[in-house]
Amino acid sequence: MSDVQSVFGELAAARGLEQLGAFDPGPLTPLLVEGKGAPLRPALRGMLGEGVEGVVGHLAYKRNKTFRFQVALTQVPAATAFAPRVFCIRRGRSTRDDEFYGFEARHSKLWTESTALNERYEVATSPYQDPNWLRQLFSPSFVDWLGTKPPAAFSFELAYGALLGSVEADDPGADGLAALCEATAHVATRVREECEE
Amino acid sequence: MQLNKVGISLIAFFGLAGAAFAIVPILAGAPGEVAGILASIGVIWVLVAGGLLWYAKRQEKKAARNDWIFRQGLRGTATVLSAGSSAEVNEMPLMSLRLALNVPGQGTAEVKRREIMPVFAASRMEPGLVLPVYVNPQDPGEFVLVW
Repeated sequence: MSDVQSVFGELAAARGLEQLGAFDPGPLTPLLVEGKGAPLRPALRGMLGEGVEGVVGHLAYKRNKTFRFQVALTQVPAATAFAPRVFCIRRGRSTRDDEFYGFEARHSKLWTESTALNERYEVATSPYQDPNWLRQLFSPSFVDWLGTKPPAAFSFELAYGALLGSVEADDPGADGLAALCEATAHVATRVREECEE
Repeated sequence: MQLNKVGISLIAFFGLAGAAFAIVPILAGAPGEVAGILASIGVIWVLVAGGLLWYAKRQEKKAARNDWIFRQGLRGTATVLSAGSSAEVNEMPLMSLRLALNVPGQGTAEVKRREIMPVFAASRMEPGLVLPVYVNPQDPGEFVLVW
């Protein structure tokens, strides 16, 4: 944990972020629900990127094993009216290993229109999401950006206006955390732009 | 609800193992009492598999119906008047919602709806929240709530 603390301290100093110690975001997105109330510790508040304010922190929780994520949380409230839920998750990511139910709620549907996007990510939305808005959100330039620019393990979850970017690196370093902040801010800006269209 | 890979495995296991328990001892000439006990277990397992399959098919039909309403229905809004949960299914709250439906051309109506939702969605169901709905044009009581 001391290494994580020092990396976050380094990031706080480099980007002028406020050190919170711990931050409880609540069950805003599926990944935060998996944490079963685990706070982000350490956590920093401030500008994630140009014009995007939020919190960046370390999320660790235990199921059958310990899962560790670095996450960046921000808000895009306008998105709720257009897309209550959009989950763009790196293929192969695991967030739990103790679920053995035979039936699951039909709460999401895979969005597979972009081959380029689907090579790296699994995109899921509400089963009754307006597909036109998603086509506009995942414009060719945004898909290209998602495929090449964010950190390798990057994923994001947009749920009822809460946007959570995350990577599952144990020790991403201050540069890795900064890249996470920038990537999350980029996604927030893209979603906001599309809401304003 | 929909069947997942674990569910398919469970149905296959109970169905095949149950059939084997029911048939193999008889074919192998096991003593009557043993064959009877194993056959009873086998029949129960086959019934469990059949029940799960029936439930899965019913849910599939319901999903297809909802898909049709989504494609053909009238779009309106549902304002959450109250929301609460007193039960969970697979770690997900079973939400009881009271909603004010507002559909262009059909006016407003107060309705009740129960939905199994993931925790992150259930925690957002507060009075005043406005969600899209798609209503069956032939039956205003039938609608899909987009949450």
